[in-house]
Amino acid sequence: MNTEHSRLEPAKRTRRRLPLLGWRKNDAVLRKVEGSLFIAPWVVGFLVFVAFPLVYSLYMSFNQVRITVTGVQTSWVGVQYYREILLADGGLLYDDLFPFLREALVMIPIIIVFSLMIAILLNLRFAGRAAFRVIFFLPVIFASGQIIGEFIAQGEGSLNVIASLGMDDRLARYLPDAWAGPIGKVIGSFVLVLWYSGVQILIFLAGRQTISGSVYEAARIDGADPWSTFWKITLPGMAPFIFLNVIYTIVDLFTYPSNPIISKVTTENYGVSSALAWIYFGIVLLFIALAFAIYARTIKSMSPRGH
Amino acid sequence: MLRALGRFGPAGWRRMDGFQKLLLLSLVLLSVFMLLPVVYIFNHAFKPYHELFVYPPTFFVREPSLQNVNELASVASRSTVPMVRYLFNSVFVSALAVALVTGVSALCAYPLSKHRFPGAGIVFAAILLTLMFAPEVVQIPRYLVVSELGIMNTYFAHLFPLMAMPIGVFLLKQFVDQIPDSLLEAARIDGASEFVVFARIALPVCMPAVATVAILAFQNAWGNVETSALFMLDDEMKSFAFFLSTLTNNLANNVAMQGAAAVASLIMFVPNLVVFVVLQSKVIATMAHSGIK
Repeated sequence: MNTEHSRLEPAKRTRRRLPLLGWRKNDAVLRKVEGSLFIAPWVVGFLVFVAFPLVYSLYMSFNQVRITVTGVQTSWVGVQYYREILLADGGLLYDDLFPFLREALVMIPIIIVFSLMIAILLNLRFAGRAAFRVIFFLPVIFASGQIIGEFIAQGEGSLNVIASLGMDDRLARYLPDAWAGPIGKVIGSFVLVLWYSGVQILIFLAGRQTISGSVYEAARIDGADPWSTFWKITLPGMAPFIFLNVIYTIVDLFTYPSNPIISKVTTENYGVSSALAWIYFGIVLLFIALAFAIYARTIKSMSPRGH
Repeated sequence: MLRALGRFGPAGWRRMDGFQKLLLLSLVLLSVFMLLPVVYIFNHAFKPYHELFVYPPTFFVREPSLQNVNELASVASRSTVPMVRYLFNSVFVSALAVALVTGVSALCAYPLSKHRFPGAGIVFAAILLTLMFAPEVVQIPRYLVVSELGIMNTYFAHLFPLMAMPIGVFLLKQFVDQIPDSLLEAARIDGASEFVVFARIALPVCMPAVATVAILAFQNAWGNVETSALFMLDDEMKSFAFFLSTLTNNLANNVAMQGAAAVASLIMFVPNLVVFVVLQSKVIATMAHSGIK
């Protein structure tokens, strides 16, 4: 259809291209080249300041690194650090990893559901919604960490209401110990969930607006109630953004500067730190891969019914 | 906020069912919590000493005073480089960083999403992978890169490490994905060059994401201490954030400087707030204006 269209109106093409046989193909190639040029600045910066340092740190994780006045001295130690961290000395990784993973597993769904709810509410029409939007986007600027960190230190982050209602006792009774602690902690630090979800709310709200209003109109005319509208229209339409938010939340939680494992990665003892970082990276990657797999399956199961 | 609640249109309120009403009420409650940190930071900066160390800590200041501001001013006046210089460095670097990061990220995200050129998959996979890295891991190699490039002690060393912000490209790419190809194709048929398609169509449609990336980039640059500590040899080249952090770090255990530290964190916070308030309207200026709907 496009070819036909452009053949009909060659005069509209202002670019100096000859309408020869196969020019359309050239056009497409040209556009691809042009597109690739757009990427160049980012890729160059990326290679120099991210990719190279990362590969370097991978190499260093197999070395003992000593930083001297004359430069960086390395001596090959093979997988020794990896073996130490994974097998010999559990203290460095496992002690912090498992409580943190449990906490993250609880926290990620809560953050996603909460921010989705807020975003849908903020999309409703009501006076004063502009003010509410500003307030709920605010956590975006708490992301710098310093502010939240200060709050945790001051003990303002947890709600004492939870403890006073005896909620943690009940949790301990019905759940295994390993889970009751983290779940209690999550409920206790509910406020923190609020403060983690700024970008997520923002993404959801922007995503919600990609769903055409006419679809809702049609659903309303067909007599769909808000509840089924949400499940049949909003949720499937938001699938790409839910996925985006899951990835963002995983990355955000796992690379938070005050994260127990990240805080152990320092420039002292660079070899061990690099090894730890790469192991941790593997774990995070696993989570991301899981999110990808689930997303791919959801999309697949949704598409045949879609039309 | 109460006024906002009072101004709920009666029509909107009636249209909502009980469930939504309940949720909306909880919105009001939640927004109180959302505002807590902001209120706290402002209050904390103006607490006189006997209030700063009260246990349990108080939330609101009872007797506001400028004592802490004066303390910070006196510390700052003792530094060899005038504070204005640090401020200039930070403002200059942050402004450039925001422009460059958003521009470069968007330029990268667009073809990544809309041109299936060879290697696009690899680039995107690389972005995803590097999202997950702790910045500490790359500190030493970055130092080597910066010194090899010979840009130590220049503004380039402030800017370049900030530029490859993977989260920016990732966010933007996911938004560009949602732009229907037909919209872009229509522009191409009308003879728009690829750059015009990008700048006039893709970018405005993705404004919410662009604004978000700009906010994140600003925070990143404004609060950046790392490049000053590692790549800047002269004090004149260091950032305001670094200057404030040295004030408070060296004196972390010193009761005497807590007031100055409180004001310092307020000063660090306010520009974030301002940039946020300015840009958030762009986040709200939505796809409704873009012709997608």
